[in-house]
Amino acid sequence: MSGTDPKDGGANAFVPTRRTVLVLGVAAASTVVTIRPALAQTAGSVLNCEIPVPGPQAAGSYIAPDGSLVAPGTVGAAPPLARPLRGEEAKLLLQGSTPAGVNPQSAQAYANYIRRLQAGMSGFTCYASLQMPR
Amino acid sequence: MAGARYVADPEECVETVALDGLSVLFHRPSGMTHIVAPPAPQILEALRLGPAEAGEILARMRAWYDLEGDDAADAVEARLDELEAAGLVSRL
Repeated sequence: MSGTDPKDGGANAFVPTRRTVLVLGVAAASTVVTIRPALAQTAGSVLNCEIPVPGPQAAGSYIAPDGSLVAPGTVGAAPPLARPLRGEEAKLLLQGSTPAGVNPQSAQAYANYIRRLQAGMSGFTCYASLQMPR
Repeated sequence: MAGARYVADPEECVETVALDGLSVLFHRPSGMTHIVAPPAPQILEALRLGPAEAGEILARMRAWYDLEGDDAADAVEARLDELEAAGLVSRL
């Protein structure tokens, strides 16, 4: 804030140029509004964003039909996608379609993986943006 | 005043843009963006000096600002609850 230097905690470190009035308001008055990632991203970039399946932190893992990550080579699980899905392709998957280049038998596993993405995981912001109403 | 002690993430975790009367905070660890009105940014500023309970935060702010408002302690605690819910501060 103006005139403060929080890095210097000493009693003499803070030299206000002008003492500011701070209105604390009442307890019931809310002062924090959080913007969800879905709204923080511009609509134009949504369909071009990317979702790696799986994310780099789980590179090589296979995707079980329910979308969970399993050991490479697990029977009945889908192999990692060679390239990240674009937003448009992820949207198709979530609608039950199969984008070009994706094995139809694995499509459901990839769709479920995307649905399980959480904040902090690679591709989450892209997924959240796809949920944005237009 | 005895109560919960709060801590804020280091300054480098939060990108702050001051607007006219409001601040926009981008919290890097969560990827969330928050629009905050006073006194929320000032509470975060006070917490950058180190963990503190509500009364201590109030004292720090009083050293910097002329505080206005009734029930200052209640107001600060309510804002701390909000900031905690938003993930910008946490209890120790």
